[in-house]
Amino acid sequence: MPVYEPILLKNMEQPGYTGSLKDYEQAGGYQALRKVLKEYAPEAVIEAVKKSGLRGRGGAGFPTGVKWGFIPKDHPGPKYLCCNADESEPGTFKDRQLMERDPHQMLEGMLITCYAIGAETAYIYIRGEFRLGAKILWRAIDEAKAAGYVGDNVLGSGRTINVYVHQGAGAYICGEETALLESLEGKRGLPRFKPPFPATHGLYQKPTVVNNVETMANIPHIINRGWEWFASIGSPPKSTGTRVFCLSGHVKRPGNYEVPMGIPFRELIYEFGGGMRSEKPLKAFIPGGASAPFLTPEHLDVKMDFEALALAGSMLGSGGVTVMEEGTSMVWAALRLMEFFYHESCGKCTPCREGSSWLVQILQRIWHKRGQSGDIELMEELCRNIAGRTVCAFGEAEVGPVLSTIKHWRHEYESLIQESAVSGRGGRELPVLAL
Amino acid sequence: MATTDETQTDLVTVTIDGKSIKVPKGTLVIEAARQVGVMIPHFCYHPKLDPDANCRMCLVEIEKMPRLQTSCSTPVAEGMVVKSGSSEQVETARKSVLDFILANHPLDCPVCDQGGRCDLQDFSHEYTATVSRFSELKRVFQKEYFSPLIETQMNRCVQCLRCVRYCDQVMDVKALAPVGRGTLTEIKAFGAHELDCEFCGGCVQICPVGAITSRMSMYEFRPWMLKRTDSICGYCGDGCQLTYQTKNNDLIEVSSTYGSGRNNGDLCARGYFGYQVSEHPDRLKTPMIREGESFRTVTWEEALEHVGQSLLAIKQKHGPDAIAGLITGRCTNEDLYVFQKFMRGIIGTNQLDSSVRSGHLAGIKALQRVQGTPRWTVAFEDILEADVLMLVGTNVTETNPITGLKVKEAVKRRGARLITIEALEPAIGTISNISNLASYHFSVRADRIHEAVLGFMKSVMETHGVDQEIRGGAAGFGNDIFSRLSGMPWSKLEQMTGYETSRFAEAAAVFCQGKKVVVLVGQGVLRSPGGYGTTMNLLDLLLLTGKMPRPGCGVAPLAELNNDQGAFEMGAVGEALPGGVPIDHAETRQALTRAWERSIPATPGASFPEILGRMKAGTIKALLMVGENPLGSLPPSSGVEQAMQKLEFLVCQEAFRTETAGIAHVLLPVATAAEKDGTFINTEGHLQTVRKAVEPAGESRPDWEVFSALSVMMDDPMEYLDVRDIGKEIRNLLPGTRVLGPAPMPPKPDSQTVQAYMAGEYQRDVAVRYRLPEGPEPASDELVLVLTQSLFHSGKFSLKANGLIKVESAGRLYVNPQEAGRRGLGEGDRVALHNSQGSVEVTIGFRERIPSGMGVFPEHFDGEICRLFPYTVDPETKSLVWKSTVVRVEPVPVLPGSRK
Repeated sequence: MPVYEPILLKNMEQPGYTGSLKDYEQAGGYQALRKVLKEYAPEAVIEAVKKSGLRGRGGAGFPTGVKWGFIPKDHPGPKYLCCNADESEPGTFKDRQLMERDPHQMLEGMLITCYAIGAETAYIYIRGEFRLGAKILWRAIDEAKAAGYVGDNVLGSGRTINVYVHQGAGAYICGEETALLESLEGKRGLPRFKPPFPATHGLYQKPTVVNNVETMANIPHIINRGWEWFASIGSPPKSTGTRVFCLSGHVKRPGNYEVPMGIPFRELIYEFGGGMRSEKPLKAFIPGGASAPFLTPEHLDVKMDFEALALAGSMLGSGGVTVMEEGTSMVWAALRLMEFFYHESCGKCTPCREGSSWLVQILQRIWHKRGQSGDIELMEELCRNIAGRTVCAFGEAEVGPVLSTIKHWRHEYESLIQESAVSGRGGRELPVLAL
Repeated sequence: MATTDETQTDLVTVTIDGKSIKVPKGTLVIEAARQVGVMIPHFCYHPKLDPDANCRMCLVEIEKMPRLQTSCSTPVAEGMVVKSGSSEQVETARKSVLDFILANHPLDCPVCDQGGRCDLQDFSHEYTATVSRFSELKRVFQKEYFSPLIETQMNRCVQCLRCVRYCDQVMDVKALAPVGRGTLTEIKAFGAHELDCEFCGGCVQICPVGAITSRMSMYEFRPWMLKRTDSICGYCGDGCQLTYQTKNNDLIEVSSTYGSGRNNGDLCARGYFGYQVSEHPDRLKTPMIREGESFRTVTWEEALEHVGQSLLAIKQKHGPDAIAGLITGRCTNEDLYVFQKFMRGIIGTNQLDSSVRSGHLAGIKALQRVQGTPRWTVAFEDILEADVLMLVGTNVTETNPITGLKVKEAVKRRGARLITIEALEPAIGTISNISNLASYHFSVRADRIHEAVLGFMKSVMETHGVDQEIRGGAAGFGNDIFSRLSGMPWSKLEQMTGYETSRFAEAAAVFCQGKKVVVLVGQGVLRSPGGYGTTMNLLDLLLLTGKMPRPGCGVAPLAELNNDQGAFEMGAVGEALPGGVPIDHAETRQALTRAWERSIPATPGASFPEILGRMKAGTIKALLMVGENPLGSLPPSSGVEQAMQKLEFLVCQEAFRTETAGIAHVLLPVATAAEKDGTFINTEGHLQTVRKAVEPAGESRPDWEVFSALSVMMDDPMEYLDVRDIGKEIRNLLPGTRVLGPAPMPPKPDSQTVQAYMAGEYQRDVAVRYRLPEGPEPASDELVLVLTQSLFHSGKFSLKANGLIKVESAGRLYVNPQEAGRRGLGEGDRVALHNSQGSVEVTIGFRERIPSGMGVFPEHFDGEICRLFPYTVDPETKSLVWKSTVVRVEPVPVLPGSRK
């Protein structure tokens, strides 16, 4: 098994590391912040992050430095940083570990970001269920405040940076950046239409950067070891650095693995994950969280970076890799995911709201052997009518599992519908009118 | 129309479906398309609301953009090429959105009140295939009781959230919220209770489908059966356009369309739910003549003959000044004009008055005196464009709700700064509270508004001095007022208003920076003792700061009744002839004499308090009462009952048998606003056309017809063919009373009058107006009791409106919960109120917005509580004032065993 140098998980893998400020400082923590305050102009930080090639780790993979660069420099009012810690993508559990085990790493990243974009206030929007994480973050903020990293005069620089934790209330959609902002403002968490983008009209309509936890955790290392170093890791130039992949499903050793971007899935699943849990071979895997379309064994040698996955018809997404063995019904898998999306569709826009409920009912019918001919074609059409027509990216996400399972395993759908016809249960059971 | 010029904006060229147009930068694609005649279908978009882009119905193809864009949220850009109807991709998208919406829609169109005027129906008809491919189960919501007036049918909802956004963005009420997620989202009242809000009906009107409907006429109609009549609301002075929808002479519902009228399609509870007055079963339907204790139904001929002969007899025996008349400002201009012509020309007396006396006249007289015109010099558009708005003595939402909406829009969406002086605490409640939007709010007791205005003026003068321009021309005026204000000690002003000097100074600084400043004056000032003086002082304030003659600035008194302004302008007050000119104005007298072919009495007119005095003295023997009800509305302290009983002959022209009508000698049934043609002049001075929607109830007739017929009976015929005939006569006499079109053109202040005022005319009463009162403060355990108008009623007339009674059917003494707590009172407790006038029992209600030390009672239900109010007569306007009093509060002991 190849060995890669851990970056983000390095501290927490040390025995006895508690994630306290003392431990973090002993491991070299907050040197990046000191360095930035002393040596870097804000623009220089943005420039370094741009050159490092760091891309957002939340799902969409937007270049982080470029995003920061969109913040208007001469804006008179306040600007905000929001750290998106609403990790709710099924099969994804990396941010939770990064927050709970090494909170100061992301906090330092946030402080550097605030310095770079000129924000005095930062919020961590954390998933409501992560109560432990919220507690740990509050404690870390208190420690950092006492040590002078957070507060009115950060390390004597005259800069004010305050950080607050805001707990969500259990809606997947609040991981979408504009829904997150709405929720943070105390409103119903519904996505806003874009443009305008948060960079100019974000929290309270002020310039705002929204970054994922893992993205933030990378920042101190880019400063400490230089953007050249970071840009050399992974598969440059488009996918630099490491990713923490969350491996789950029918593998021997599920868990979080930090590897450079660009290694093939085969390596992650068979080397790090120890291969399949039983004799049954791999049938399918989701490469980047529930929103990413399914891939097949043919794709095991696809490189785990942004471009290669886009070419393979899926996406790197949030880094949640879910593996399924032979014998798993792909109709069932699609149904299970569609039930999730139906439950979590916020209802703001028509195609997603109505489409998810329609799709889930068709899938349920097929799975319960009441499918009818034309169902597959109808689902395909519905998916086409959802994707690209919604307010936020949820629309694309919810059709991924359906379209990709139909694409690769159409026969499974067909045979279930065939069975419905044989058993005479095709179609919805309609009440018969007594005449 | 705004009195200031619109600023020019940059234009960009866009092409939509091959048609090019230049539109201002920032215009939304959907609006640009409308201008070239391309209708883009939509549900969630509404020009009044911020775009939400949630329904996805308005997707269009825009060249150089990767995917379809929502035209409701995309602003145009130079050279943009948009494809709507001409794009196959767009057609597919529209079909699919409708497919999705119809998936869960119940298709109960045959029993839906929206059927026939439903956007979903229309778009389905236009864009989608007739067969749905949805063969799953539709989601079904449990039916829940929503409110007495508004019904929800959530299965029909397309979740466009227009209702929720309207309630928040336009009304500032926030009574509605989407609850639940995804397809299970439903619109509910905020909180676990039935809907409790302003009941403006906006959600019903703005719903594109039948998800929110009015309960007033459920299942009674199909929209295409309804006859539509555009008219003007007959309640408050805002003068809202509304459309009566009738079926077989029954009023079915009222609506108002976006873009129409001064209200731009917005209505309030009174306008939207208050229309059933005309159909009330208690309507008087036939003329009646008193016989002993009861009335005998007679024919119009008999009644008119009787009235005509009796009036003639009294006139011959006692002279014309033995007869007086009183008319309500709810009547049309034509009614009012013919009434005063009848009184002056046929009877020969100037003893006539109207309801404008009881408040609005104070404002009109102040305007006329300073600026030479009795009308506003600004319009609603100036409120929208103002950068500083000042509201004095008006909870504008409750008295003039649509003017209130203009204020809300100016503040919330256009960034105007708001200064309010009113007996209100900023607190959130079911009815929106204008003081919540104020940058500077002075919550002073109802009887301290005058002092707060003085404090404000003092601060303005001390920090910013007199405006440069007027300093030269009218130095004396400025210096005089400056020195009078300087003489008032801050310590006393601070103590009387409860606000510190610095607070006044902050607000004054904002006021002085304002370029377009409109000051709205409400009933809290106009109907209080000295209200005329306060209005005058506010005019002085605008003069001294140099704002007054500038376009876009002005003082705007708010009229309580729909045609109070018309009552004055038609000359339905003793001291003014048509046109609002003084009774001794020679030119007008000549013109009238010529036009009427009758002489105008030279005796000075009498106001209602004077008429009341002459009735008591026995010199007035007969009274014509048109829609007014002094017995039911004046406090007993005024001696109205004794005065009325002394009358030899009382004629009431009424729609209902009011207290006054009950003692009349003759009752003549007359038509209500929905039953007649004519014109009203709204509070901004805009003349608008009123149209008959239904035939008058029973044998009732418009008031002008009665006077015209009486004149024939009195052998001095004053005949008109119809209202247009009267209108023509009025227009010939008064050029300012033409129907001008959709918006008023406010007059400019007359510079000669302004100059004369500042040169010395102001001195007449300046000492009275700039004086701090000396008098005892109420003891700490006493309550200042104030009568105010409720949002849900207008005078006593609306008490006959079934819909409004469902919202508010009785009066309560509203106090602050903390105030009540201090006195050990709970909501619903009975208390006794005592003062030197008597004592009355009332029920306590809570409202957080009422300052402590004050109690508020809705004037519409003041039948009992009226007794506690002493009255005064304002020396300048001669109006009867009885708005506030001071009482002691004592809990009524609860009898053992009786329920609290």
